[in-house]
Amino acid sequence: MEHLTYDIRSGDFNGAGAASRDLKHHLKRIGAESDSVRRAMIAAYEAEMNVVIHADGGRLEATVSDGQLDVDVVDRGPGIPDIPRAMHEGFSTASSEARALGFGAGMGLPNIERNADRIRVTSTVGEGTRVSFSVMLRPEAADQGARPSSLGTVPELCRDCRHCLVACPTAAVRVHDARPSVMDHVCIDCTCCIAACAPGALTMLDAPGELTGDGGVLAVPPALLAGFGEHPAGTVLDELHGLGFSEVVSVHPYEDALRRDVLDRAATGEGPAPVISPVCPAVVNLIEVRFPALVKHLAPLASPWEALQRDLGERDATFAVSCPSQRTALLSQQPTAQRQTVTVRLVREALLPRLAARRPAPGDGAPRPQAAGADDLLVVSGVSHVLAVLEEIEDGQLGGVTAVEPYICDGGCFGSPLLAEDAFVAAWRWAASAGDASDGGHSLERSRPFRARPGIRLDADMAVAIRKLAQLDAETTALPGKDCGVCGAPTCAALAEDIVMERASQALCPYVKTEEGTAS
Amino acid sequence: MKLEEIARELGLSELTPQVAGNSDAEIARGYASDLLSDVLAHAPEGGVLVTLQVHLNVIAVASHAELAAVIFAGNRRPEDDVLAKAAAEGISLYVSPADTFDIVGRLYALGVKGNHA
Repeated sequence: MEHLTYDIRSGDFNGAGAASRDLKHHLKRIGAESDSVRRAMIAAYEAEMNVVIHADGGRLEATVSDGQLDVDVVDRGPGIPDIPRAMHEGFSTASSEARALGFGAGMGLPNIERNADRIRVTSTVGEGTRVSFSVMLRPEAADQGARPSSLGTVPELCRDCRHCLVACPTAAVRVHDARPSVMDHVCIDCTCCIAACAPGALTMLDAPGELTGDGGVLAVPPALLAGFGEHPAGTVLDELHGLGFSEVVSVHPYEDALRRDVLDRAATGEGPAPVISPVCPAVVNLIEVRFPALVKHLAPLASPWEALQRDLGERDATFAVSCPSQRTALLSQQPTAQRQTVTVRLVREALLPRLAARRPAPGDGAPRPQAAGADDLLVVSGVSHVLAVLEEIEDGQLGGVTAVEPYICDGGCFGSPLLAEDAFVAAWRWAASAGDASDGGHSLERSRPFRARPGIRLDADMAVAIRKLAQLDAETTALPGKDCGVCGAPTCAALAEDIVMERASQALCPYVKTEEGTAS
Repeated sequence: MKLEEIARELGLSELTPQVAGNSDAEIARGYASDLLSDVLAHAPEGGVLVTLQVHLNVIAVASHAELAAVIFAGNRRPEDDVLAKAAAEGISLYVSPADTFDIVGRLYALGVKGNHA
C-alpha cells in the first residue's frame, strides 16, 4: 500500500496541479491503464482546485492499494451548506478572481463524480469539507516478462572491474563476487557490456567448435566482408566459399531494401513522424523496454537478417551475425530448416589463415552507389547518441526529420565489438569496394507486431507493484545516492529496486549503517 | 487533418515551435470553452482547444485532458512561463486574431468535429 500526502495552499492558482501530476507519475509506475489514470487525474485536479478556490488551505491524501486509488481531500474553510445543490452542475460560490481564470463554473464536484467510481462529500459549515473519492485501477496490457537473450557469460574471466555496470543502457547487469549476471527482463541483447568487458566475461552465445560448411548457405554481413584489410570483398567471398559452403550471401541487399521501404513509408506522411527503422533489433528492444511511447514509430518490418532467412526457405544455412540481438531475432523466427548462428568472430578466425596465403588484390569494381533518398535519412549510431535521439523524438523535439535509422553499435554494424577492424575503416573499405549490386533483397512485413515490454514495471500484478513502489521510495531514501557501484548494481536506484525485488540486500551498501554497525 | 496543415489553413501563429513532434498529429476533434472544468469534463483526448484563457492553469488542464494543442482566440498571448510549461508538457500553442466563433467555424469546415458529430 502506497500512501502520499500533499499540502494545498489557498489561492495558489499557479502551484495547483502539482499533487495530481505527482500522483499520475506514481500510477504509471505501477502499470495502471491510461483511461483510469486520466479519470483519476481529472478528479484529483478538481479536488485540488476546490481547495485553492474556496478554502483556507487543506491536504490531499492518496492511498494506492489493491486495484484502487482512494483520495481524501480535507480542507479548512467555509464548508458547504447544501451538498446536493453543490453537486448540481452550474452551482458555484467562487470568487470573481477564480471565475476570471475560468474556474467556479459549478462543475468541480460534478466533474469528480463523473470521473470517480465512488464519491462521498461531508461538510461542516464554518469548519471545512472532506471530499473522498475512489477510482478503480485496471492494469495496462503488455507482454509479460523475460524474452530470449543471446548474451552469454564466462564468469571465471571476470576481474571485477565493473565497467559493464555503467555501460548497460538499461541497468541490466549486476556483478556480485566477481561474477557478472544479466537480468533478462530488461536486457536488450545489445553489445554495450560486451564492448566494455576487456577480459571477455560478457560475450555472445556461439556455436561450439569449428566452423563447418557442410554444403549449406553462409550468410554474412558487409562488416565481415570489409574486415580483412586490403583484401577486397570479392576475395573474401571466394575464400568463404572455400570453407565448404555451397553459396555465400551478404545481407546488404536486404539492408538496402529495408532502407528503401522505410523511406517510402516516411514519404507517405502516414503515421507518426519520424518513422524509425527496425534495422537494429537491439534498438527495437530498447524502444520496447524504455520508450514504449515510440513503439508506434517503428516501421512494422522485419530486420534484414530475418528477411534473408525467410528467403532461404528450406535450405540449410549458417548465419554469421555480429551481435546477440541479431541471433535472437533469427531464432525467434522459428525457422523450419537446419539453421545455425555463429559469431562473425568465429568466421573471421576460420578465414584468417586462408587469406594469409593470398596477397591483397586490387579492388574489383566501381564504388557502390549510395542508396536512393539517403539524404532524407538520419542515421544515428552509438548507444549514447541513440538514447539522445530517442529522447528527442519522445519529447517531440526532433523536427524536420522524417526517417531515422538507429544502430546501438558505434558506426553501425561495422562497429560490433565482435569484429577486429575499426568501424570507420571497415565502412570506408566497404563503400570503396565493389560488393555486388544492392538489388535482389527485399523488405519483409513482420508477422508479430512490436509491443511495449513492462521491463520497468515492478510487478505484473498491480497490487504487488503498488506495495513495491512504496518500499522502493523508502529504500531509495535510505541509500546515499553516490552511485559508486561497490554493491554490484550500477546506481543506488538500481540497488533499491534489487532490494525491493528481493535480488539483493541493503547490507551490500558500504555506506548504510546497519544495527550491528557499518556494513562494509 | 494534421496540426501543421490546420495552422497553415487558419493562418495561426505558432507560439511553441520547440514542440515539433506535434505538427504531424492528426486532429479529428476539438472543443471550445473558457471554463476550465468544462474543458476537463468534455474536451476530447488528442484534440484541439479554442479558448480565451491564457494563464498557467490552461496548460495543467490541457495536460490532464491530454489535448494536443490550444488555440488562443482574439490575439490573446500567454506569458513566457506558460509557453515554457506547454513545451515541457508537449502541448502546441497557437494564437489567432480571429474570435472563437470564426476559428471554430473554420476548423469545422476543415473536418475537425466536436464530440457528437
